[in-house]
Amino acid sequence: MTTQWRYREFLDRLGIGVIIAIAVFSLALLVLPSVVVVMISFDTRAFISFPPQGFTLRWYQEVFNHPVLVGAMWTSFKVGVVVTLACIAFGVPTALACARGELRGRTALSIYVIAPHMVPGIVLGVAVLFTGALVGIGPSIWLQAVTLSVFVLAVMVRTVTSRLQRLDPALEQAAANLGATPFQAFRTITLPLLMPAILAGSVFTFVEGFDNLSVTIFTHGFRDRPLPIELLAIVQQTSSPMVAALSGVQILLAILAMITLSLSVGLDGVND
Amino acid sequence: MPGSASVTTGGDSASPIVFIREIIKRYGANTVLDRCSLAAHEGEILTLLGPSGCGKTTLLRCIAGFIQPDGGAISIDGADMAQMPVNRRPVGVVFQSYALFPHLTVAGNVGYGLRMRGVAKSDIAQRVKAALASVSLSGLDDRYPAQLSGGQQQRVAIARVVVLQPRVLLLDEPFNALDAKLRGSMQVELRHLIKQLGLTALFVTHDQEEAMTLSDRIAVMRAGRIEQLDRPDAIYDRPTTAYVADFIGASNTWYSRVDGGLVRLPDGQTVSTTHSGDVKVMVRPHNLVLHRASSERAGSWSGKLVFRRHVGAMMEYEVQLPDGQAIRAVGLHGDQPVEPSPSESVTLAVRNPAACMVFPAA
Ligand SMILES: Nc1ncnc2c1ncn2[C@@H]1O[C@H](COP(=O)(O)OP(=O)(O)O)[C@@H](O)[C@H]1O
Ligand SMILES: [Mg+2]
Repeated sequence: MTTQWRYREFLDRLGIGVIIAIAVFSLALLVLPSVVVVMISFDTRAFISFPPQGFTLRWYQEVFNHPVLVGAMWTSFKVGVVVTLACIAFGVPTALACARGELRGRTALSIYVIAPHMVPGIVLGVAVLFTGALVGIGPSIWLQAVTLSVFVLAVMVRTVTSRLQRLDPALEQAAANLGATPFQAFRTITLPLLMPAILAGSVFTFVEGFDNLSVTIFTHGFRDRPLPIELLAIVQQTSSPMVAALSGVQILLAILAMITLSLSVGLDGVND
Repeated sequence: MPGSASVTTGGDSASPIVFIREIIKRYGANTVLDRCSLAAHEGEILTLLGPSGCGKTTLLRCIAGFIQPDGGAISIDGADMAQMPVNRRPVGVVFQSYALFPHLTVAGNVGYGLRMRGVAKSDIAQRVKAALASVSLSGLDDRYPAQLSGGQQQRVAIARVVVLQPRVLLLDEPFNALDAKLRGSMQVELRHLIKQLGLTALFVTHDQEEAMTLSDRIAVMRAGRIEQLDRPDAIYDRPTTAYVADFIGASNTWYSRVDGGLVRLPDGQTVSTTHSGDVKVMVRPHNLVLHRASSERAGSWSGKLVFRRHVGAMMEYEVQLPDGQAIRAVGLHGDQPVEPSPSESVTLAVRNPAACMVFPAA
C-alpha cells in the first residue's frame, strides 16, 4: 500500500480545527457573557447573582425612567449621528479622490486620513485635551464628536475605497458614453454602487461614536456626559441589575447593527 | 441628414463616417499612437487587428472621447470631435467587460441612455422593448446582469447602445469575456446582428480568426500605426509587408536574392518580383505540396517528414530540411495515394509560384 500525501485533507483539518477553536473562544468570551448579562437583566432580585430567579422588566423600566441614563443615551446617540455624518461628508469624497481621481498626492492624502486611527485612542484623547486647553478649547460634546470623527474617519475611507477598487472603472465610462453628465454618472451609477459600503462604514462609525471610551474619557463635556462614561460611574457605585439591562439594550443595538451590515453586504454580494 | 461632401482619400465612392487623421497619443516617452490614420465607411465592420499593446484600445478610447489625443483629428459624420464632450459623441461603446450596471435590470440598463437624455417615460419603455427584441432578449427585462449568461450580457451591452441609434459602434474585444467554445458561433451571430441593424462598427481584436470571421475590412496595426487596410482575403493573399504576412496565417519563410527580376524557389520554379537585391520569401502551408520520395512525382527539394497530423479534413505536415529548417505544409486528407509516414524522405513543391510573397529582406 502506498502512503498518500493528503495535503488538501490536512489543510481542511487544520482549517476546521481553527474554526472550531475560534467558535469556542468567541462563544466563551462574547456570546456566553452576553447571554449571562441578558439573563441577569431579567432577574427579580436587586443584586447581581447567577442563576437568575423569576422574570421582570423592572430594570429596563428603571433604565428608561432614569433621567441621567436617558440623557446620556441621548448624548451618545447625538455624538454617534454627528460622527457618522461627518465621516460620510469627509470620508466618501476622500475615498473617491484617492481611488478614482487624478489628484496629485492622493497617496499621501490617504495615509494622512488613515493615520489618526493608528494612534491609540487614549493617546489621541490626551493630546487633544492638552492641546485644546492650550488654545482655550475645553472638553465638550463638540470636542468629543470632532475628535471621534477624526479618529474613525479611516474606517469610512477604507470601506469605501476597497469597494471603489473593486468597481470596474468602465462603468463610469459607460455612463458617460450613454450620455450622462459627470454629476448624473455619480448620482445614478457610482453612488448607488457605493451605498452598501457607505452603510457598512456608517454602522461602524455610529457604534464608535456611541460607545467609544478611550477618546471620550478625555474629550467629553461635563454637562453632556455620554453613556460609556455614565455606565462606568454606575458600575463603580452600584451593582444593580440596571447595569445589566443597560448592557441588554446595547446588545440589542449591536445585533441590529450586525443585521443591517449583513443585509447590505449580502445585497452587495448578489449584485457583484 | 444628407450625406456630407466626400472627403475620401481613395477612389471609394462612399464617404467615411469615421475619419481619423494622423492621431498621436503619448504616455510619457511611449508613443502609443503614431500618426495613425483611418477611414471607416457607412455600414461596414472595420476591424483593428494587432498584437496586444499595439494601441487598438487607445485608438478606440480616443474616438469615444475617454482620452484626448496629443495630435491629429477625429471626425464623425463630418463633425470634428476635438471639442465634443464624451457624453455627446455619436458613438456607442461595447466594453471588453461589457460594463453593465449591476444594480439596474436589463430594462434599466437599456433605458439608461434614454433617461439621461430626458426621453419621456412611455417612449423609453417602448424603445427599450424594441431594442431588446432586436437582440432577441425579449422577456428578460427584469433580470439583473448577474443572472444572465455571457452571451446574453454581450447582447444587453449592444442593445444598451443601439437604442440610442449611434452612428458608430465601437467594440473592444467583446469575446474575451466568453468561453472559448462559445466564441465561434457568437462571432457569426454578432456579424449578422450588426448587419441586420445596419450599423457601422469599429471592432478591436488581437485574434486573426475572429477578424477574418467578422470583418468587411481589416486594419492590421503595428506599434501605433495602420500597416495595411484591406478586405480579409486580400490581407491574407496579398499582404503588403512581411509583418502582415507573418501576423495573418502561418507562413514558411526563407531568404533569397533577386536575379533578373526573378526569385528562384527551392524547388526550382521561379517567381517574378519588382524588388531587387536580398528578399524574404514567404509561402503559405497550403501552397506547398508534398510527395513521397519514392513516388514518380518526387522533385529535388527534399527533406524528412518529422510530424504529421489530421485536423478535420486536412493533413498537416512538418518537414525538416537538411539545413535544419522546419517547413509546414497542409494538404487535403486523401490527396496522397499513400500517406508518407514520419521519418520518411519526402519532396516539396510550390503549387502556385505566383502566390508566393516576396518582401525586401530586413
Ligand atoms: N493610461 C495609460 N498610461 C500609460 N500607458 C498606457 C496607458 N494606457 C495604455 N498604455 C500603453 O499603451 C500601449 C497600448 O495600449 P492599448 O491601446 O491598451 O493596447 P491594445 O489594446 O492594442 O492591447 C501599451 O503599451 C500600454 O502599456
Ligand atoms: Mg486592448
